[in-house]
Amino acid sequence: MMKKSILIKLMSLLTVVGLLSCAEEPVDESGLLITGRSQCFMTFFDLLGSDHRTVLVSGQTVIDTTALTVKAVARFGTNMQRVKPYCSVVTDAIVEPNMGVWTDFTEPKQYTVVSGNRKVRKTYTITVTLQK
Amino acid sequence: MKTIGYAIGAVVGSLLLITGCQSDKVTPEGPLRNDLLKKTTGPAVVGDRIEFAYALGTVEGNLQNVRAEATIAGGAGTGFSRFSWFTNRNTGVDQPVQTATDTVTNGALSTARIIDSPTSNKAVTLRYFYYPTADAKGKDVSFRFSGTSSTGQEVSFQSPTYRISNMDMRRSLVLADGAKAYVSIADMAVYTKAEVEQNNLANKIDFVYIYRPTLGTGNFAFGHAIVAPSNPEYLKDVTLPTGLARTRTAIDKRVDVKDAQLRGTSGFDLYIDDIDLQQTTFPSAADYAFGFAADQGAFVKTADGAYNAYVYVNAVNNTARTMTISIKRLKVN
Repeated sequence: MMKKSILIKLMSLLTVVGLLSCAEEPVDESGLLITGRSQCFMTFFDLLGSDHRTVLVSGQTVIDTTALTVKAVARFGTNMQRVKPYCSVVTDAIVEPNMGVWTDFTEPKQYTVVSGNRKVRKTYTITVTLQK
Repeated sequence: MKTIGYAIGAVVGSLLLITGCQSDKVTPEGPLRNDLLKKTTGPAVVGDRIEFAYALGTVEGNLQNVRAEATIAGGAGTGFSRFSWFTNRNTGVDQPVQTATDTVTNGALSTARIIDSPTSNKAVTLRYFYYPTADAKGKDVSFRFSGTSSTGQEVSFQSPTYRISNMDMRRSLVLADGAKAYVSIADMAVYTKAEVEQNNLANKIDFVYIYRPTLGTGNFAFGHAIVAPSNPEYLKDVTLPTGLARTRTAIDKRVDVKDAQLRGTSGFDLYIDDIDLQQTTFPSAADYAFGFAADQGAFVKTADGAYNAYVYVNAVNNTARTMTISIKRLKVN
């Protein structure tokens, strides 16, 4: 009788563990994991030319996470109509719209960093000036 | 119960062993055998060659003659080489040794006679070079190699077909700032200002070569550059040929496309093929590229859309203010 009771308890525990392990983690429309993180900021920004090398002047990029601005300087002669932006963000955050595509940066562009829990959104204005 | 399990295991194991060790039937080959290796890995472009290594070996008699028949006759230089190669074990360097003579090419047929010496009359690997001609562009070519021995036996090897590229290639054009600076992709040539004016080439110039160590108010590094006639900024200190059409050639710089054929040296296995020039797009491309160093280059589209090309930089010389380029181009319109 005692043995049977232990067996039933053990089976119940296993069932609960099994059910929990099958629960699906939430993902967004891109299939990226939605986590509990609410941090939302950009940590690094770069711009590549058609030769896939950086066009930014070293040490001149300033990311202001309070004013939500990025200011950078592109090298003399850069074709600003065809550059490819890249950035790093805090863990689990994403950027909208996607970077990594050829973009016209002759005018300031806006990108939104979205936190890991997808509840905090911060829109950065990125301004790149050209050496003349 | 346990005994049955062991018995089944033993039977299955034995069956697997028996079937696993069964060898395929091998057709016995004759005493004279051959094999073929295409050594060239790049596209077959007019102006370059395809290299094959044709191997023959016999255990009866001596090797005598080889022949190669192409489906399309090759250009000058097509035929067997008189030399085979071996690696010197002391130095590690490949060295030639003469193994063939009477190397003759007549039309599409190339022949050679193997020298009757202990180093070559039993087994030899001969090199065969094929130079595609302009007439063969866009066509398929294949080769039938064959060899004979002194016992009267003959073997042959049919190669796969290879497509001859539609690209044109021109190597080692030396551009000089203020002199031979005007490049025509249509002509695959470089001209001086006087030549452009005298030969009415003002509508055929796709880009101009300039060298400026620095440029701009901040004296920023600029270096070796190619600039389309349309660009108002970088050609403002250049006296252009009279009537030069201000065409906007799209120019897209690259630093990692080290085409082995344009480079002209071995050791690289990267090639621009027809498909690369067909599919290259130029969205928002500039009409200039600067800061060139050796091994860099640029994809170029002529303003009339007739040609896509890759301009490869072989060498730059800051003192002489020159840049040596090689070009692959494809007619796309």
